[in-house]
Amino acid sequence: MAATMKTPLVLNLNGESRTALVQPYYSLLDALRDEFQLTGSKKGCDEGDCGACTVLMDGRAVTSCLVLAHSAKDSEITTVEGLAGVSPAGPGELHPVQQAFVEHGGLQCGFCTPGLIMSAVGLLNQNPNPDAEDAVYAIGGNLCRCTGYNKVIEAILAAAETMRSKAG
Amino acid sequence: MPDFKTLGQSLPRVDATQKVTGRATYAADVYLPQMLMCKLLTSTVGHARVVKLDTSRALALPGVRAVITGHDFPDVLFGSGALRDRRIMARDEVFYIGDPVAAVAADDEVTAQEAIELIQVEYELLESVIDPLDAIEEGSPAVHRDMPNFEGYGFAMGGNNCTLLDADRGDVDQAFRDADHIFEENYRSQPINQGFLEPMACAANVEPDGRLTVWASTQGPFQVRAQLASVLDIPISRIKVNAMELGGGFGAKLRLAFEAFPAMLAMKTGRSVKLVNTREEAFTLNGPRLETNIHLKTGVMNDGTIVARESHSVFDVGAYLGAGPNSGVAHALGPYSIPNIRLRSYGVYTNKIYVGSYRASGVADMTFAVESHMDSMAHRLDLDPMEFRLKNVMSEGDTSVSGARLPANGLRETVEAVKQRLGLPKKLGENRGVGIAMGEWRSGSGPSTASINVNEDGTVSLLTGSVDISGSDTSLAQIAAETLGLDLGQVIVSTRDTDMTPFTGPSGGSRIVYSQGKAVQQAAEDARDKLVSLAAQRLGVPADALACRDGKVYVQDNPAQSMTLSQLARASLTSQQGPIIGLASLSSMPYAPVFNTQAAEVLVDTETGQVKVTRFVQAQDVGVAINPMSVVGQLEGGAVQGIGRALSEEMQIDPETGRVMNPSLATYLMPLAVDMPEIETILINVPSESGPFGARAVAEPPGFGPPAAIANAIYDAVGVRINELPFTAERVLAAIQGKNSLDRTMDVDSLKRREG
Repeated sequence: MAATMKTPLVLNLNGESRTALVQPYYSLLDALRDEFQLTGSKKGCDEGDCGACTVLMDGRAVTSCLVLAHSAKDSEITTVEGLAGVSPAGPGELHPVQQAFVEHGGLQCGFCTPGLIMSAVGLLNQNPNPDAEDAVYAIGGNLCRCTGYNKVIEAILAAAETMRSKAG
Repeated sequence: MPDFKTLGQSLPRVDATQKVTGRATYAADVYLPQMLMCKLLTSTVGHARVVKLDTSRALALPGVRAVITGHDFPDVLFGSGALRDRRIMARDEVFYIGDPVAAVAADDEVTAQEAIELIQVEYELLESVIDPLDAIEEGSPAVHRDMPNFEGYGFAMGGNNCTLLDADRGDVDQAFRDADHIFEENYRSQPINQGFLEPMACAANVEPDGRLTVWASTQGPFQVRAQLASVLDIPISRIKVNAMELGGGFGAKLRLAFEAFPAMLAMKTGRSVKLVNTREEAFTLNGPRLETNIHLKTGVMNDGTIVARESHSVFDVGAYLGAGPNSGVAHALGPYSIPNIRLRSYGVYTNKIYVGSYRASGVADMTFAVESHMDSMAHRLDLDPMEFRLKNVMSEGDTSVSGARLPANGLRETVEAVKQRLGLPKKLGENRGVGIAMGEWRSGSGPSTASINVNEDGTVSLLTGSVDISGSDTSLAQIAAETLGLDLGQVIVSTRDTDMTPFTGPSGGSRIVYSQGKAVQQAAEDARDKLVSLAAQRLGVPADALACRDGKVYVQDNPAQSMTLSQLARASLTSQQGPIIGLASLSSMPYAPVFNTQAAEVLVDTETGQVKVTRFVQAQDVGVAINPMSVVGQLEGGAVQGIGRALSEEMQIDPETGRVMNPSLATYLMPLAVDMPEIETILINVPSESGPFGARAVAEPPGFGPPAAIANAIYDAVGVRINELPFTAERVLAAIQGKNSLDRTMDVDSLKRREG
């Protein structure tokens, strides 16, 4: 593949401007993993079906495997690695959604977890008062094979509650 | 319950923080210097001789560093079941669409894929067979003409029947003659994928000393090491397997998968090599479950007592024998006591992807048949399905199919709990129904070891060789903490590297907390005994006057007279006995059955055939829940997998070629959050006589019952019995319209005749 050259991509990534050389055909997911060394976003299918690669693009949850890397250059991208740092709880501490997943057993094998967490954060960015049905639909594109979803929903609702009480 | 310190508490998983922050490292997350990427070429035909395999154009492509074929590997047959029936890579013959034929290592994945497409293969087609009911017939084309020569081949009928298991008890023929009623039914389960979210991945590197290091996505690092040594024909001591964080396995990652390809390419190139499966490959290359056809015949007396059971189960194993056929015998009775039995189970080769394991392989299939059959018989006898079951369930002291005596258990309590929660028996409204199913599993056994050393700050380091697939690291740490009187945070768990950790069996069959947990408990007791003995010397009191709790060893009658674990650990460094290490090693554990009862309420749309599960309740005897949150999580997740199996999941396989036709998560329909009812889980606590602190196995049984419970609920709702999984809208609608989709069943008479 000598014909395709990597070209510089400047990305607003987790609150920082980062630059890497990225193949023109690379998805945002491949760029994050292979070029920016952010392996928290997972490749479960590479075709938009599983949700394990979910990141925030300008605050909204998207499957990064379906975004062309170079097309993300004008957007703010937040990955799971960027959550703890931008938490209302302060730098270094877990984001309330992460904390709620820990406390409520919202994870098992953990492979789908970053994607589920990013979908949940995307939901709470838009709707601080979700009910169970809102939470279910927010993770409607995230497959989890281990948990059966009950504890994931519990965790999202608990996180919403925590964030409301902190904001209030 | 005794006064536990950490046991029985819903503590967060020890690995939770690294997982929610994206820091957990899975095999695909391994990036090594100078790493090459690997891609595979696989067979495009179901059964053929390889007459030409030309890799020269691929090798000539810039960026390609090596190409390997079956001839690069030693001439070795290995197996994942009882037979050594497969090669790691095809030499002269391919046996299914997907059989690996060549592999490439290149500078990047795109170049590797381009090289794959430049490899020229010519096949000479051989006769193939796809349907297991064709394959088991006499005179069917042979998948493996060499079968009689395979190491391990023993009791079977020949042809494509590679294994035959049986169990007999009493006088079945006489019991059928004496029975007031005889019921015969056929059932079929579907090909199904484990659905792990993490596609299989592996990295390999040859170290400067010539040893091979493998980073694997596996449930069994020691099994991968042994099988890799076998197919590469090198000593086990030349291989180190790092079992990485595992993104779901459910049995699919118990054995050697693709590790040999990057390993061989690393040996050829001297560079590190990584292979990451695509989702399509997770469906087409990695052993799923295939269909099982089950025939049940049962003799019952007027009062509802079951007196005889005959079963014939045909397990499609695909191209190579794997798990499953054992369940055709071990689970043909369900949790019922039946005096006269004749049970037969057949493994049958077909030219399809070989079977792998999945959450107690074959048991869900058998449970679907047995528990649907129970319901069907109850209705025809005009008995309440639950009462009919209770009349026939096993009791303590009864003998299982394997001949083991049934110890104390909570079987009846699980039934009662579900009955109470749902208020059974009851009749729901129009097109609504309720159904139940019961399940049984033995707690998994096998080699287990643990080592615990006491650190100078009073914490302990627990070393185990078992991969965490179920929160087991946390449960093992809780067992160690409880035994030593520590908090969970004072136990550091390390696992998974075959150089560093003591040998242990794979994480499968719900064996880790039960068996490995026992080893951890014994190792912790060993460490505790040594701490107490040292304290006794230093404090000048007899050892039996001491207790170990809250980070101290103290005199029970005078707690102020004590030494902290930190003081003892430091003292041990210069003591006569030396630093404190607790060790334990065991090979097998007693039979500790696990029983559960599951119930589904459904709403059937009679115009579309759509089935919606509106409520799901389950009760399981878990013995003692080491970590209730983790236990409930396993039971919820297992139940949802079972609901997927019941309603939507099916690998569609082309009946002509054996090709998997829906190898994507958009077409293979696993449950999403929007599909699921809330799962209500009730824990029953009848401590096992043998497990650590009375724990039983947990994870396998919740997946067993949903297909039958939902089938029985559909019958209750709309009066049709569906004998074939899954219950898609199309199939349910056809059944409502009077068409049973199970149009082909096995020829039991012919099987019996051939047995002679």
